[in-house]
Amino acid sequence: MIEVRGLTKHYRDLRRGRLVALDGISFDAAEGEIFGLLGPNGAGKTTTLRILSTVLRPTAGTARINGYDVVSQAAEVRRQIGFMSANTAVYDRMTAWEMVEYFGRLHGIAPAALRERMEQLFDRLQMNDFRDLLGAKMSTGMKQKVSIARAIVHDPPVVILDEATVGLDVLAARALLRSVAELREHGKCVVYSTHIMREAEKLCDRVAIIHRGRILVQGTLAELRERYAQHDLEELFFQLVSQYEAGRLPAAAETP
Amino acid sequence: MNWTHVKLILGREIRDQLRDRRTMFLIVVMPVLLYPLMMSVAKISQLAEERPARVLVLGARYLPDEPPLLENNRFVPGLFSAGEKRRLLELVFEGDEPARPGQPPRDLRARAKAAVLEGQFEAALYIPPDFADRLARFQQAVRQQVAESLTRSVGAASAFTLATPVPRPEVFYTTAGRRSQTAFALLSAVLSKWTESIGRRSLEAAGVPQAAAAPVETEAIDVAEETGHRGAALWASTLPVLLVIWALTGAFYPAVDLCAGEKERGTLETLLSSPAGRNEIVLGKLATVMLFSSVSTVLNLGGMVLLGTMVFARGFGTPPAQAWVWLPVALVPISALFSALCLALAALARSTKEGQYYLTPLLLLTLPLAVVPAVTGMELNLGNSLIPVAGIVLVLREALAGNAWQAAQFLPPVVTVTLVACVLAVRWAVEQFNKESVLFREGERLEVRLWLRQMIRQRGPRPAPAAALLCGMVILAVQFFLGTAMRTPASFAEFAATTLVTQLAAVVAPAAIMAVMLTSDPRGTLLFRRAPGRGVVAAVLLAVALQPLARQLEQAVLWLYPLPESVGDQMARYLAVLQHVPLWQLILVLALVPAVCEELAFRGFILSGFRQSGAKWRAIVWTAVLFGLSHPVLQQSLVSATLGVVIGLLAWNTGSLLPCAAFHFTHNALMVASEWLASWHARWPALDYIYRPSEDGRLEFTWLALALGSAGAAALVWWFQRRAECGAVAPPNPYQDPSALVAGPAEP
Repeated sequence: MIEVRGLTKHYRDLRRGRLVALDGISFDAAEGEIFGLLGPNGAGKTTTLRILSTVLRPTAGTARINGYDVVSQAAEVRRQIGFMSANTAVYDRMTAWEMVEYFGRLHGIAPAALRERMEQLFDRLQMNDFRDLLGAKMSTGMKQKVSIARAIVHDPPVVILDEATVGLDVLAARALLRSVAELREHGKCVVYSTHIMREAEKLCDRVAIIHRGRILVQGTLAELRERYAQHDLEELFFQLVSQYEAGRLPAAAETP
Repeated sequence: MNWTHVKLILGREIRDQLRDRRTMFLIVVMPVLLYPLMMSVAKISQLAEERPARVLVLGARYLPDEPPLLENNRFVPGLFSAGEKRRLLELVFEGDEPARPGQPPRDLRARAKAAVLEGQFEAALYIPPDFADRLARFQQAVRQQVAESLTRSVGAASAFTLATPVPRPEVFYTTAGRRSQTAFALLSAVLSKWTESIGRRSLEAAGVPQAAAAPVETEAIDVAEETGHRGAALWASTLPVLLVIWALTGAFYPAVDLCAGEKERGTLETLLSSPAGRNEIVLGKLATVMLFSSVSTVLNLGGMVLLGTMVFARGFGTPPAQAWVWLPVALVPISALFSALCLALAALARSTKEGQYYLTPLLLLTLPLAVVPAVTGMELNLGNSLIPVAGIVLVLREALAGNAWQAAQFLPPVVTVTLVACVLAVRWAVEQFNKESVLFREGERLEVRLWLRQMIRQRGPRPAPAAALLCGMVILAVQFFLGTAMRTPASFAEFAATTLVTQLAAVVAPAAIMAVMLTSDPRGTLLFRRAPGRGVVAAVLLAVALQPLARQLEQAVLWLYPLPESVGDQMARYLAVLQHVPLWQLILVLALVPAVCEELAFRGFILSGFRQSGAKWRAIVWTAVLFGLSHPVLQQSLVSATLGVVIGLLAWNTGSLLPCAAFHFTHNALMVASEWLASWHARWPALDYIYRPSEDGRLEFTWLALALGSAGAAALVWWFQRRAECGAVAPPNPYQDPSALVAGPAEP
């Protein structure tokens, strides 16, 4: 479903000059699977997901989603994905209903089908209380729900979620994680980036730990625990990052 | 292009703007309220205006009884052009009491000056002592002399002398105060009318009829009363400017909200990851901005015209009826152009606040294009109609003044230029939306110090495009200041020194300093590379072949945009200095020095910088534009910019500065050597097939020369192109240096 090979991205930055945000990362994710991208802030998670959502172009390497290339078939890729991140906000001057409807229509869904789909989504995500509330007046939890509805209104096979629980309270975060788990049940391929290990433990089938633009290790949680003899994911993560910083971990971008 | 997407985006953006109270206030409420409010404010200022100015009158007792200047302690009403102006002067009298015995008389003149200097009065009128008596004596003398001259022969009248001059009344005022100036203007008018009546009385007393003093009176008749265009000129010069200003400001705020605002609110990425393509997003937003720009313009113009007609109808009549046809016709392209420009600029901005900073420079750059043609005597001709914005304003001005037919003739060029400008602006806007460095630079603030430090510390082998642009601007600025500081040379030695100093200080120095400081490979940047001899020879031949075409181009430019007289005079002064100077010296100063210096800066540093953007033609054209701008006269700039494109092509294809300098040198040398070529023509009549000197000393090339030259030039350009393709000289590929991939100062 998702095939990433040698993805590289360079930026230019005033303070640091040329910056390698991604250094040849590779991974795969299949349908009915939640693939977790774990890393500290600035590790390259957002850049990876922005490339997958065609918002950024890679400097080198390729990424294919459902067989479509993110550079040469960007328009097709955008039809295959639902993308939600901390940077994909909700319009202040649109109601929840208008916002989801707008993106549904951009995806070319016929009005009757769109209405039906939206009623379903609004029920499932419990959004009916605020369907006519303007974005500016919504709470963070409401906005996050609208964003999810907006991202999956066209029922895409691939859903890309970047730090989706940022700023949510415990209740809202739980509700969101439940929605993501439901997506897997519907057979979607979900890429979920986070720096909160508990979320990954709860949700992800497979994870990749990313640091300084490189994938240090990837596999199922059970595999990683076994390989590094460490049950606690947070400890495991800390151990890997420290080893890498000390130069003891080779650039172990494990190609699947 | 998916038009459903465009329509959907347009619909959403319109709804969004309609829900934004600020935009609605600026666009709809302001025009409705602004103009009545403006009138009220203007009324307040009128009240402030009309407070009378205080004038001190000293020595009023020395005034003659006839003709009277004062009446009941004010000026005589008949001396004012309009009766109500009499109120504007409040007179205070001093010094009319006779001097007390034993005390020296007061110095009234000194008092008058002090009264104004110390700010007690806005102006002071001083009548010298014995003014009335001496005036009477003068009039007596006039009567006598007239009587005597009548008895003598007619010719003796020339001996008429006025032996007894009349002392002058003096008015003290200060140009430092506006009200003082107003008082002075009123006083001058009153006094001159009064003096006139003194003159008339003198003549009358001498037995000469009053009419002899002013035998002719002209009468003005406004024929526009008959055509219904009364006062049209005023509307014709104001409405187009207002149209431009409102179309620009009306486009600006929505554009900033739709681009920078979306970035700030974080919704742009939401839209970018939707199925809508970047072109579709830009078009949808563009249509929204255009709509709001048009509506805002229509409402504002409507408000102003309505109020103007109601309040000033007596003064300059209603706007001509054809305005209602022409203004909407002009509004569409103008608002399209500004909407695209604003959108591209707004996309550059990281925040609404930053976006709003861009309005002032944009207005300042656009206003001259609108105001100069509307207000000055700039003519509607082919050349002027080709200037963006100015062309539209000129056509509108003519049409509104009632010359619809003349205006319509120039519609094709104006429409073409505006369309081209529109397309370029839209393309620029789309490009901004395709640039990651522009869309995702919200994370970092642009700090000039950091940027410079990074440019210096982490310099690559070639300068960045931004550095090239900076270099061009520095050259233009230094040239400007040197140009204003240096005087017109009086001799050739001075001319040569001025040229050398300007070229070294303004052109070579910035490029050389920047090449050393900002690049790790200054030699490569300045294209210090050996070129094969054949390339240099071919460049010289190209310059020779292009000579007839270049001269033809120069003529065409001068025909389109004739040199203004002042510029012509200035050039004539320079030419005078160059006369009788040996040819080799002229070639040294006018061909060799510019060829080396300018090529070093423009094809060396600047083109190397623009080259990093990867777009060949854009790099060449931008360099050529800056090269053109570095020439002082507009007409010269157009020709130089065109030749700059050819030289840029040489630089691109050969990667060496030598062929460029060879071309530049040969071209300039041939231009300088006109007289010498003319002398050859006299010796060798066969040259008649190629050129002949015209009467005004120029060289005229024949059509044969033009055709052969053009064909030769085309062949040579083709040859250069082929050589580059065959890899004879490979231009450095910016993509080989990964650091060159990302242009622009910042990214997340």
